[in-house]
Order: sequence, then C-alpha cells, then structure tokens
Amino acid sequence: MKRTEQSLRYTRAQGCGEIAQRRHAAALHHPLPAVHLGDVRLTSHRPHRSPAYRSTISSIESILAMMELERWGPSKFLPTSRLLIVLAFVSCLSCVFVAGRSADGYTINGRVKIPSAGAKGFGLLGKISDVKVILNGGQKVTFLRPDGYFSFYNVPAGTHLIEVAAIGYFFSPVRVDVSARNPGKVQAALTENRRGLIELVLEPLREEQYYEIREPFSIMSVVKSPMGLMMGFMLIVVFLMPKLVENMDPEEMRRAQEEMRSQGVPSLSSLLPSAARN
Amino acid sequence: MAARILAVFLLLFLSAAPLGSSLYEDQVGLMDWHQKYIGKVKHAVFHTQRSGRKRVVVSTEENVIASLDLRHGDIFWRRVLGANDVVDAIDVALGKFVITLSSDGSTIRAWNLPDGLMVWETFIRGSKSSKSLLLSGTNSKVDKDNTILAFGEGCLVAVSSADGEVLWKKDFADASFEVQQIIQSPGRDVVYVLGFVGSSSFDAYQINGKNGEVMHHDTASFAGGFSGNTLLVSDDVLVALDAAMSHLITISFQGGGLSINEKPISNLVGDFAGPVEILALKLGRMFALKANKLITFISISNDGKLDVLEKINSAAAISDALSVSDGRHAVGLVQQVDNKVEFTVKLGNDWNTNLLKETINMDHQRGFVRKVFINNYIRTDRSHGFRALVVMEDHSLLLVQQGEIVWGREDGLASILDVTTSELPVEKDGVSVSKVEQNLFEWLKGHILKLKGTLMLASPEDMVVIQGMRLKSSEKSKMTRDHNGFRKLLIVLTRGGKLFALHTGDGRIIWSRLLESLRKSEACEHPTGLRIYTWQVPHHHAMDENPSVLVVGRCQQNLDAPGILSFVDAYTGSEIKSVGPVHSVLQVIPLPFTDSTEQRLHLLIDAKQRVHLYPRSREALSIFQQERSNIYWYSVEADKSIIRGYAIKRTCVHEDAGDYCFEPRDLWSVVFPGKSEKIVSTVTQKLNEVVHTQAKVMAEQELMYKYISKNLLFVATASPKASHEIGSAIPDESFLVVYLIDTITGRILQRMTHQGCQAPVHAVFSENWVVYHYFNLRAHRYEMSVIEIYDQSRADNKDVLKLVVGKHNLTSPTSSYSRPEVVAKSQSYFFTHSVKAITVTLTAKGITSKQLLIGTISDQVLALDKRYLDPRRSLNPSQAEKEEGVIPLTDSLPIIPQSYVTHALKVEGLRGIVTVPAKLESTTLVFSYGVDIFFTRLAPSRTYDSLTEDFSYALLLITIVALIAAIFVTWVWSERKELQEKWR
Repeated sequence: MKRTEQSLRYTRAQGCGEIAQRRHAAALHHPLPAVHLGDVRLTSHRPHRSPAYRSTISSIESILAMMELERWGPSKFLPTSRLLIVLAFVSCLSCVFVAGRSADGYTINGRVKIPSAGAKGFGLLGKISDVKVILNGGQKVTFLRPDGYFSFYNVPAGTHLIEVAAIGYFFSPVRVDVSARNPGKVQAALTENRRGLIELVLEPLREEQYYEIREPFSIMSVVKSPMGLMMGFMLIVVFLMPKLVENMDPEEMRRAQEEMRSQGVPSLSSLLPSAARN
Repeated sequence: MAARILAVFLLLFLSAAPLGSSLYEDQVGLMDWHQKYIGKVKHAVFHTQRSGRKRVVVSTEENVIASLDLRHGDIFWRRVLGANDVVDAIDVALGKFVITLSSDGSTIRAWNLPDGLMVWETFIRGSKSSKSLLLSGTNSKVDKDNTILAFGEGCLVAVSSADGEVLWKKDFADASFEVQQIIQSPGRDVVYVLGFVGSSSFDAYQINGKNGEVMHHDTASFAGGFSGNTLLVSDDVLVALDAAMSHLITISFQGGGLSINEKPISNLVGDFAGPVEILALKLGRMFALKANKLITFISISNDGKLDVLEKINSAAAISDALSVSDGRHAVGLVQQVDNKVEFTVKLGNDWNTNLLKETINMDHQRGFVRKVFINNYIRTDRSHGFRALVVMEDHSLLLVQQGEIVWGREDGLASILDVTTSELPVEKDGVSVSKVEQNLFEWLKGHILKLKGTLMLASPEDMVVIQGMRLKSSEKSKMTRDHNGFRKLLIVLTRGGKLFALHTGDGRIIWSRLLESLRKSEACEHPTGLRIYTWQVPHHHAMDENPSVLVVGRCQQNLDAPGILSFVDAYTGSEIKSVGPVHSVLQVIPLPFTDSTEQRLHLLIDAKQRVHLYPRSREALSIFQQERSNIYWYSVEADKSIIRGYAIKRTCVHEDAGDYCFEPRDLWSVVFPGKSEKIVSTVTQKLNEVVHTQAKVMAEQELMYKYISKNLLFVATASPKASHEIGSAIPDESFLVVYLIDTITGRILQRMTHQGCQAPVHAVFSENWVVYHYFNLRAHRYEMSVIEIYDQSRADNKDVLKLVVGKHNLTSPTSSYSRPEVVAKSQSYFFTHSVKAITVTLTAKGITSKQLLIGTISDQVLALDKRYLDPRRSLNPSQAEKEEGVIPLTDSLPIIPQSYVTHALKVEGLRGIVTVPAKLESTTLVFSYGVDIFFTRLAPSRTYDSLTEDFSYALLLITIVALIAAIFVTWVWSERKELQEKWR
C-alpha cells in the first residue's frame, strides 16, 4: 500500500496532464483493503454480457472471494463448514444494505451516524434534520429519518457517489457500486482514504471548527505586541541605563560630566532648527 | 539586496499567517450578512387549530418546504429539496406531520411539524408518468390512523400517515387511461378514480378504500372529446371543456352510472374570443371560468343546473374554499383597485353576502396579486375573522389581516438571476449623515466597555452590549461612498422581474422596482430577465448624473425571442427608458469605450449573429466606427459542438435601425467531432479583471512572462457518455478534453485530455491560468486541475544589460495575430466535494494574491488559496522555492474549516458567487446567492494596507499614557537627583 502511494506521488510530481492519467490508472489497481471489493467492481460495469459468461465470471469471483476470505478467516474450521460460512457471509454482505430492485432501478439504503455527547449516538434533533445526503453531485437529495437512516430509490446499476452535507462535520464522499449482475448487490468505499465499508454506515471523519479560537488575555501577548516591545525598550532605557552609569568609574564619570558642562547640555530648544540658527 | 530582504520578511510574515482568512466567533456579522428566503410560494397550508404557535406550511418554486411563523413571518424551519425534486402537493396529516408529494408524484415524505425532521419517506414506483395528486384525510380525526392517498406515475397508493407504510397499491397501467381526479367519499371507504381514455371516453373506477380492490368500473363516451383539465366541483360532479373549447361538460358520476351533459359556454359568458380556461380552484359546488379576460363564477345546483353568479376582472386572485362552520364555505377574493387591494371573503352557498370586505394599501412595486390562501379564526366576539396569505407578482409573500399587512417577505430575492454593483454617492460638504453621539456620558460608557472588551475583562453581558454596538455601528450602513470602497449598492435582478438595490453594509433594501418592461404585456407574453450590466458610471464628464444599469430581458424562453432592454437609475431605481421588444439577444458585449456622458458602449448580438450597437447615438456610432476593425466575437453552439469566430462585415441591409446594426463576417470555426466530443463548459476571463504584473519571478532569479490575453476561451468537451451525470458512464468510454482557444484567430493554444474523467466541469479563468473541477471516474473522486500559460517569446528578456540598452521586445505591441510561443504548465489534485460554483477573488489593482472561492455541494463557500493550485508544487521544494512560498505537493487539496467564507452558515441552494474589488487593494467583496443570500468582505492576504477591526486602540492609548507618565516620573526623579547632587 505504501509503495503504490509513493509511486503515485512521484508521477504527480512531474505535474502534467498526461501523467495525471497514469496516476489514475495506478489508483485503480491499488489494492483495496476491503473484502474483495476490487475484483467485483471491475466486472460489474458490463451488464450486457452473455449469461454463460456471467455465470463463469461469478463463479470465478466467488472463488476469488473465498480465497481472499480464507486468508483472513479462522482456519480451524473444516473446509466444508468454511465454505458454508463464506457463502453465508457473502450473501449477508449483499443483504446488509441492499433492498430489492424495482422496475429499472435499485434502492440504496444507508445510515448516517453522528457521534456526539448524547448517549444515543445522535446529536440534537435539530442537527440531524439539517443533514442532507446527496447522490452524484446533486442528482438526488434526501434527508435523514429520525434514526439516521436514508434511502435512495430507483438508482440505476453503476458506480455512484454519495456525499453527506452536515454543518460542523467533515464526511468523506462514498463510492457505491450497484451491481446489475448480482441484483441489488451494493459495495461501498470511502473515497478519501479508500477504506471499504462493510455496511453503508457513514460517519464523519472529523468535526469542523469554523472559527478561530481566541486566545485568552495574557501578559505575554501584550509584551509581544509592538506596543509592548516599545514599552519594554523604554523601561530598559529608563531603569537599566542609570545602573550602567552607576557602575562606571567615578572619575571617568566626573570627567564626562565636566566635558558635558563645557559643551553645554544639549537641551530640546537647541535641537530645534530655529535654535540652531541662533 | 534590500528588496530581497524585504521579500524574505514579507514571506516570513505571510507564512506566519495561516493561508486564507479566518474569523473569530465574535466577529460574525461584523462584515458579513446573511438573509434567508424561501422563494415564490406555490402551496400553503395553515396550521392554526391548536393553541400554541400558529404557523403556515408552504412549498415554493425553489423546491423549499418551510414552516413560517404566522405572527412575524419568520422561518421556523425550512428544507431545500433537490433541484429536480419539484413539490407537487403538500398537506398536513394527523395534525403533526407535513406530507409532501414530490418528483412527479413518486416520493411521499412526512416532516415533523414542529422541527422539520423527516419522519418517513415512501417511494412509489409506477409505470408511466401522470398527474400527481395528494389526498390526505382532511376530516382530521386525530386518534384514527388515517391513510393518505397519493397518485403518481400511474399508481394509486394508500399510505399510512403514521409510518409511511404502503397499505395497498393499484396500478393503472393502461397507457391510454389518463387519471384526472381522485375522490374519497367522506362517509364510506370508497375511492373514486376518474379519468379519460383517449380523448372521448370517460372512465370511473370505484375502489375499496380498505384494500384497493376495484369495486365498480363505469365508462361513458362523449363525441365532442375532452380537452385540458377537469375540475371537481362537488363530491359527484366534474366539469370539463370539450375539445373545441366551446362547450362546458358536466359529468356526474354518483348514484349509479355516469351522465354527461354539455352546455355552450356562450350561453353562460356571452360571446367570447380566445382561450377558455377552468381555473383549478376548489370552490365547493361552484367553479370559475376564465374567458374574455373575465372570471365568471358559475354555480351548479343539485340537479345540474348552471347559474352565473358574478363576473370579475381577471386581475384577481381567488382562494380555495375554506370550510367555515356547519358546512358553509368561504371563498377569498383579492382584486386590484388602483393602488389598493380589495380583499373580500364571500360565502360559497350565498354568493351575495360578503363575510368580509377590506381595502389594503399596497405598495405599487409589488405588482398584481398572483395567489391567495385564506384562513379563518374566531374573534373574541365569536364571529369569524379571516386572514389571507398573498403572493404578489414580484414573488413577495404578505400576510393580510384586519385591513393591514401584518408582515411581508421579499422572497423574490430567492431567485436572483444576475448581480452588478454601483458606487454610492459621494458625501457632500454640509450634509452630515452621521448622527452626533447622544452625550458625553454615553460616549464614555461605550468606550470604557470597549476597553474592557479588549482587555478581556468584560462580563458576558458586557460582551453582548459590545457586540450589539459593533454590529450597529452606523459607519458601515451610511448611504455615502467610503474611502475604502466597502460600501456599495448591490443591484440584483430577480426572476420575478424586480430589481433590488441592497446595501453592502447591512444588506437592507435601499430600493426595489418591478420593471414595467419585464411585466407581462400584449407584445410580450412571458418576459424573463436575463442579465444586468453597468450602463453608465459617471465620474469625469458627467459628475452630477446618477449611475445607471442596463437590464436585458427576453420575451420568451427560446433564444430567438425578441429582447427587452431597460435602463434603470441605480440610485433611485426609476426606469429611465426602456426599449423593446426588439431584436433577439443572444449575447451582450460591453465595450471598453464610453461616450461623452460616460455611457458605456454595448454590442448586442442577435440570433442571426448580427450586431446591434447601443446607445443609439451618433456619437457612439462614430466611436464605434473608429474601433470597428478591432471588434471580434465568437459564438458557442453547444448542441452542434461548434465554436465560431466573427468580425464585422458591413451595416445591415434589411433592418430598420440600419446604422446601428452590423452584419457578421465568419472568421474561423472550431468544429469538434460531434460524435465523440460534446461541449460541456466554456469560460472566459472577467472583463473587469486587473493584472498587476506580467512577469513572474521564479526561484533562482528566473523570470517567466505570463501569457496574458483577454481573448482566451477555455472550452471543455466530454465524450457523449461522460457528459451526463455521474453514475451513468464507465471509465473506459469517458474522457474529457480541455482546450484553450484564442477567440480572435481560432488558434488552439493548448489541448489536454483527461482519460476516465467526466463532466460536470466548473472552471474559472483568471490572469494566465485556468482552474477547473471535474470528476475522475477511475479514482472515483473529484479533481481540480490548473493550467498556467507562459509566453516563451519574451523569455529571453532576462538580461539586465539588454533591458538597459533597450534591446528587448517588452514594449513591442502584442497582436493576437502574432503566434507567440506559449508554454503551459499543469497539475492535478484531488478535491473532496462536488462543486456548484467557482470563482476567483478580484482586487482593485491585482496585486493581492488570489483565492479561489468554491461553492460546495453543502452550500458553503470555501476560500482556497491559489498557491495550492500551482503547477510548480513538488514533493520536496528547494529552499529557494520554499522562500517563495511554494507548498509541498500533496495529492489532495486541503479543506481547512476556518477558511469557509460562510463560516457556520449555509447559502441554501447556492447558485452563484460574485466578487467585486473594493478600493482598498487588500480587500474584495463577495456576494453569493441561491435561495439565501450572503455577503462578506475578504482579504486574501490579510489586510496589509489597513489596521484590522480587532486592532487594539486601547493598548495604543494605554502605551501613550504610560509613556507620558513615565516621562513625568523620570523628570521628577531626575530633578530630585539633580537637587541632591547640588546639595552634596
């Protein structure tokens, strides 16, 4: 994972349109950490292939899925039971956030979860009612039900984008694949961090703070300001300079004073141009 | 060297500050304002039965559902639905839910009445498109879980109003059956579905209200054929027009079978010409017929006899019948009488008695009454009182009660079409606008409070007072021009044909005017406003004249419809003159020339690409003739994928206004392969943009020359599949191509392909760069790309010696016909959000660094520093580059919450963002509009040329006082010391 990201950045560094495309290709082959999201999605775009082709692909796919799962799944089960578990798991994946198909579209069901101080897992009702869920950049807009669930109806098969607009929270857009081949199978991944979602439960990545925090009044801030620096300098001149003078040799002092007296103390009036003329 | 040190200091200063401006919470409202609107009301349902808050639920043409306070007109809550989720009907069910039917009857939603939370949502999937109707049990028995009947997409659905569960569904799949009405019988649970089959047959279904089974089916045919809509007059009588529109058909369908009667309309109305229309109003055993510019009220007796009750002028609005006590119906009528409005409430059963007759003074600028909704209340003396919610021609909403306007909302501002600005008048001597402070004590108190505030000693109550004082400061809402150019008039054109002038200080309406020329007239049936331009900005020659704006409109929606021009005084709002309907208007080009009265020359291009010069004066013509050979323009034909360039050929041959009309000459055309590329977006530079410097100093003393040409056009094309919405294309078959085209010669300066990317493309063009936003299907994320263009032909002008000797080509004139060598640099980044609008900050001299203003899908405006979109960004910038402010490369653009210009607010339904430079170089004014409007002031690189609002004057004063005190103290000390010295 790290390596691909690195190469991605290097190609980007050259900064040209054509190179940007190569980067996208890299991003596509980037292995997704979720259960078998990558494999399925690549084929799910072709709804009009022959049934035979479809069945072979799906069987290959399920094997792939099994292999993938085997790597992670508990290895103490017997092979047959493992197969059963895998099958159950795969079918469950599709049933978790999928509803049936109607005439020519599917339904995407999901849930927005906003963590807050409230124990129920939802903030104030006023807040949840302001949340909008947006499909494909504004093609469809829906709102949350009191329990945080939302649905998009009549969505055609394909790859879609769901965004959540909520003031105060930053949500990652979600890539949702609705498969035409396996009716109603939906897979989702966050696009910001390419994390796959087992369930379509959208949670904010972070809270957003729109205002600067005003720092409390402190002496240091006054001292650091230009005015404070000016004051400080003045204080140094007023209080430290006499001390310096005190440390001087008394004889030297006297000499200096006499010298000054002979020249005359430079007064303010003598500094003025009119005085200088006299 | 000194310059370099200065630069380093500046950079240090800049890098110390976070990129972009940010706001403290207590600064909200100091330089910004936000106004909430809902749009033109379509439906309204009152909710006043219970004690507690009296409210009215409305749905609007901007797809807003809102609950308004009936006392003050404030918004309790508001939900903005998606752009294609048009609300068809609303109702209140169970006394606690607002039910809406939207998206052509396919979506039913229930909203909690107190707080607007969506309680449930049900989707109806039918087989065909049809009328959409909503019927919620109006006989509101709260305890019973009553059902809602909804008809949409050819399906009749009964839905439980408590949880949205579909109880039963009946699909009228027969394609020719056009359902017109649905009736629920009050007593029995029977639902009648009535409609036409073909044009001459009428069908009625009786459906069991419990389970949706068809109980009975009747058909009757009528030879004359039906046309248009039907209207339900009572529970069993339907009224329709025949195909020839000469007869009125009444269909009664209860009591066993259907019976159809017809009656010539001329018998009722007298001789008439022109179209006849049955007004879609529920009046209760009565209906209204519009013919001959008159509205005729006709009642139907139980045996089917038709009687004419009254004829009124058609400039009246009629409400639906409202059931008052014991089966009586009241109907509200609002008529325009000169400057006044007459509000009458009549009894449906007894037309001659007026329950109420009131005359209300109405602002002439609101136009005619468009819609009225009435509601009754019981007065203290147990008689019936009526209030009316009135929708006016300018889309404003008024509540009328007891002969007065209780409140009004300027909801025309929810549909702004275009914005321009105008300077305020100069403050004249002797005219003191500012008020003198009340007295010294108040003044002192205020300043002590402020001092406490700056020293952070103030209590929360004090803070509230301080905040109030800051917000109310009269300085920002004065009606005169200010030194910094912050105070301006925003002149906005709305869809209702009304112009508003808003003050930038506090957003109040200075004047508003319903433009006469944009109102419906004989010559112009459906006028709409298009754009607004600055017509005259008097400064040198015509100092005493008021500035004026040009409003361009069109008579119909289609492009070749005749145009309307209107010239409006920007200070008073009065219409100076109007022209039209004239030739069609496709494009308006303001020229950089003005005549002796400072009127700007404008070229209006019509559908045949002929050019019309305005103002139509000899002087303007002579100015134009001098520049005639330098005028070029282009047209974009998106449907044919062609861009053409034109110049002027000769004066028009067949045109009345011969001298001011010119015929075009084709210069060039760029034809995109229509089968593989479709034009999705075209963007040019802003005409009023100022570029400060042509050279850009790079790191290591390198110099690059920006290629600056006002004649560049950015075009984005996409493969046909990729030009639709996201979700319909796959990466392999979609690509995006962007072009930079010189509009004088048609030369393509740059072409770039993005494979696997698709529309929508939002772009902004400024100086020598374009930034555009599109969707990357491969990564399934949005991306933003930047292209910067540099002029290579001037690149060798780096030698100081050459510059001194004068051997450089910097002063040589640039021509668009020369073919400069250009170099384009580009880089792409990921961007999280969908984008609705994108623009760039403009400042007076163009010195200040730029910020992109991005209107995101969540209706916020994000300010993103242009430095993030710099093709020179690399993973590890060199030391010199870092000094210059090049940010290390990241794969996505950062979204810093503090740089949201709209901070915690939303500009619901955001459509556009406009930036206007202030006089102060560091500052720019930002106005964004949608359903809401929002204005703020931005300083992209902080206010380096003036003290900020939070500059601590108190600290300055304290320092000065302390210094003076110190002088005295030290003076006393030195005196004393000197004295001691002398005594020693």
